[in-house]
Amino acid sequence: MSILTHVRTVRTVLAAGVALRAVAWGALASLTLIIGAVLVDLVTPIGLVARSGVLMVAIAAGVATAAALAWRDRHVLSLERVALWIEERFPSLDFTLATAVETGDDSFVARAAVDRWRTIAVRRAAHAVRAPLASIAVAGSIVFALPVGAVARVRAPHRGDSLDRPSRGSVGGASRLTPLVARIVPPAYSGRQPTTIDEPSDVRALVGSTITLRGRGSAGGVVARRGVDSIVATSEGDRWSISLRVDARPVALRLVDRGFQRIIAIEPVTDAAPAVTLVTPAHDSVLRAPTGRIALSADMHDDFGIASAAFEYIVSSGEGESFTFRSGTLGATRPNGRRASIGASLPLESLGLRPGDVVHLRAVAHDANDVSGPGVGTSETRALRIARRDEYDSVAVEAAAPSDEEKSVISERMLIMLAEALEKVRPTLGHDSLVTESRSIATDQKRLRRTVGEIVFTRLGGESSGEEHTDEESPARAKTMQDMLARADSATNRSTDPIDFSGGESPVVAVNKPLLEAYNAMWDASTELEIAEPGRALPHMRRALAAIQRARAAERLYLRGRPPQVVVDVGKARLQGKDKGVSSVRQATNASDSPGRRRIERFANVVDLAARDAPAAIDSLLVLRIDALTDAPAFAAALSDAVNAMRGGKSAAATEALARARRSLAGAPITRDSLARWGIVP
Amino acid sequence: MTSEFVFATAQYESGDWDSAPLLPANVIDTIARYTEIAVAPTGVVVALNDDRMLRYPLLYLTGHLPVRFSDAERRNVKRFVERGGMLFVDDHNHDIDGTFHKTATEEIARTVAPLAELPNDHALYSAFFKFDGPPTTSHELNGWGDNLVHKHLLAVRRAGKIAVLFSNKDYSSEWNYHPESKRFLTVDNTKFAVNLVVYALTA
Repeated sequence: MSILTHVRTVRTVLAAGVALRAVAWGALASLTLIIGAVLVDLVTPIGLVARSGVLMVAIAAGVATAAALAWRDRHVLSLERVALWIEERFPSLDFTLATAVETGDDSFVARAAVDRWRTIAVRRAAHAVRAPLASIAVAGSIVFALPVGAVARVRAPHRGDSLDRPSRGSVGGASRLTPLVARIVPPAYSGRQPTTIDEPSDVRALVGSTITLRGRGSAGGVVARRGVDSIVATSEGDRWSISLRVDARPVALRLVDRGFQRIIAIEPVTDAAPAVTLVTPAHDSVLRAPTGRIALSADMHDDFGIASAAFEYIVSSGEGESFTFRSGTLGATRPNGRRASIGASLPLESLGLRPGDVVHLRAVAHDANDVSGPGVGTSETRALRIARRDEYDSVAVEAAAPSDEEKSVISERMLIMLAEALEKVRPTLGHDSLVTESRSIATDQKRLRRTVGEIVFTRLGGESSGEEHTDEESPARAKTMQDMLARADSATNRSTDPIDFSGGESPVVAVNKPLLEAYNAMWDASTELEIAEPGRALPHMRRALAAIQRARAAERLYLRGRPPQVVVDVGKARLQGKDKGVSSVRQATNASDSPGRRRIERFANVVDLAARDAPAAIDSLLVLRIDALTDAPAFAAALSDAVNAMRGGKSAAATEALARARRSLAGAPITRDSLARWGIVP
Repeated sequence: MTSEFVFATAQYESGDWDSAPLLPANVIDTIARYTEIAVAPTGVVVALNDDRMLRYPLLYLTGHLPVRFSDAERRNVKRFVERGGMLFVDDHNHDIDGTFHKTATEEIARTVAPLAELPNDHALYSAFFKFDGPPTTSHELNGWGDNLVHKHLLAVRRAGKIAVLFSNKDYSSEWNYHPESKRFLTVDNTKFAVNLVVYALTA
């Protein structure tokens, strides 16, 4: 074996010693931190996050320590340094070994002491690791001396390990309600994993979940009270446990152990019903005939999963008080997912629809909730109506004859055009020709006036014509508008004053009023035309045209279906005479917001209590929160924040949360977009 | 602003909202007979999509046909109950398997909240006259509808007060006659209407 080989052997021994020492000091550093954390945890419980952090820091510290030491002694890997280290211990070499290493020629070195190099190197390495290994042994013995659960809480922290933490006091006299662990097992249909909570005070769980509360000590005397019900704890080794099922109503669970009490708010989370959207048909529609197929599609989603989905239809037939209904489903599927889209086709022929029938379509989804459900979600309903035959009139292809009013409009407009033309050529016409032409227009004007008169009198329920046919001077002829209104009044027998339309005019008279005005204007026009004055007739003719157009645009009255207007005679119903008598004294009822007022009073009492007895105030806030969960969720949320802040000793946050709770109770500030009745800004 | 109680009938776009036209007058007559509540001699019809519906403390809604609120109607109904109004819905079909019941209850669930059985010892039944539950009507077993005597009314409650009251008793048929005809009855069958109004005004 050459000299250089011996030097390399020494280097290997020294390097091994250096590495072992670095690792040992690193491990000791980690152990020291863990032991320190365990000791602190024994005195004051350390939270889960902090314990997880301690473990990570311990590992990091060990690695850093080992790396630092290894870096500091990295020169052990240099062959020249190892040669000098040997020269230092064997001065007789007189640097021949260093020269041999540098030159690679080992003939410079005498072979006398070569065998002792390795022995000295081993001794040196052993000396280097002696101290750290001894320290590790001491630390290890300390770890073994510590309670197993205490070390495990730092070594492998997890939720629910608060029960593993050894208690310092006597179990016999201390409360068995602390520490406390809650394990929540959601119902199977939800597919959620069980969770564990240390020191629970406010538990949110899905309805149907099973909550198991566990604590240390025997079960004897440990009871959970839920309203008037009591649940007795059972023993599991050296621990007690209580299991209960989460109902739909929030509960303030009161745990009792002799004189100790602890309140846990259990807030149920309700499984929401599926949300369903009917995509097609997108809107209501009227079908001319019940033929063809209607494409149906719907989207839906649920918080846990949709078990089944389908389209439902309802066919309503009939009218008035006689209605029949038929219903059915189609396109049923089992999506088994949180989101689904379904589709189907509805053949209208299969429904046996008749004119007037209405098909109501919607999509329905059921979730998989087998505990409190299933939850049912429905979409908007679309209505498809089959048109009745009498509705076809409005879309008839054949042109219908114009109404009487429209015919009158056309004729009066033509007469105006004729009169305007006559007035225009009047200077060029002789007197006889003018009179002939004007009386010709007057004859048409009188015929049109009679037509209007027919319409009015037919509507008024009088004779078919209120005007003579041949004798212009008949006494029965209505010459003026007042005469016509008098006839209208006699036909309706409504009022004593024929021209008093402001008060008790009947709807029929009101509607015919424009035609009566037209009739009168036509009369004046024909009178002027008879004496060959077309220019003076034109204003009357235009007034008649405007009145007829107003009659056309008048609002139609549909008396059929109008509900009867019954005016109750309140005095008569109360049998009131001249002597009113004295009414009995009635007792005032509570204000409508009395529950809210009571809640405000309770809240004020709890706030007062907080200054004197914080734990009691926390319990009261939890009970108040349970009561408010249903109808005042914002108030309940603020109380939850306040409780958490009070538990954490954060007085500022607690004050802020309590202020928020008080604001929530008082309601939102009232804002008005106008001044109050008395002009005072509220 | 009038201080009189005005009986308001809700008009909605779908269905036959006016199927009991004489009921308002009958209820008004009953209120006048038994109470000193200042009551308007005629009722009003108010569209649910009209903001004026918020002026009335009690809205009466009935019909035979499927009920489907428009967006505006749904928004107003929600505002109405949030402001403390009471919506009284009566199934004119008195049929729990009927279209009105199904669609109206779903519409209420969608708009306000799901309906639940109202206990028969609720304050509504002692708000004026004493009842052991919803009074039975002569129409429940008339061969139409579900032919059941419905033991409970349904309700949505907000802050302890009834926001929506749903009936399958068919009071719309029971009370739909001219108030002058009430004198022919041995027992006035409209007394429960007093409880409805008094509760709506005082609860």
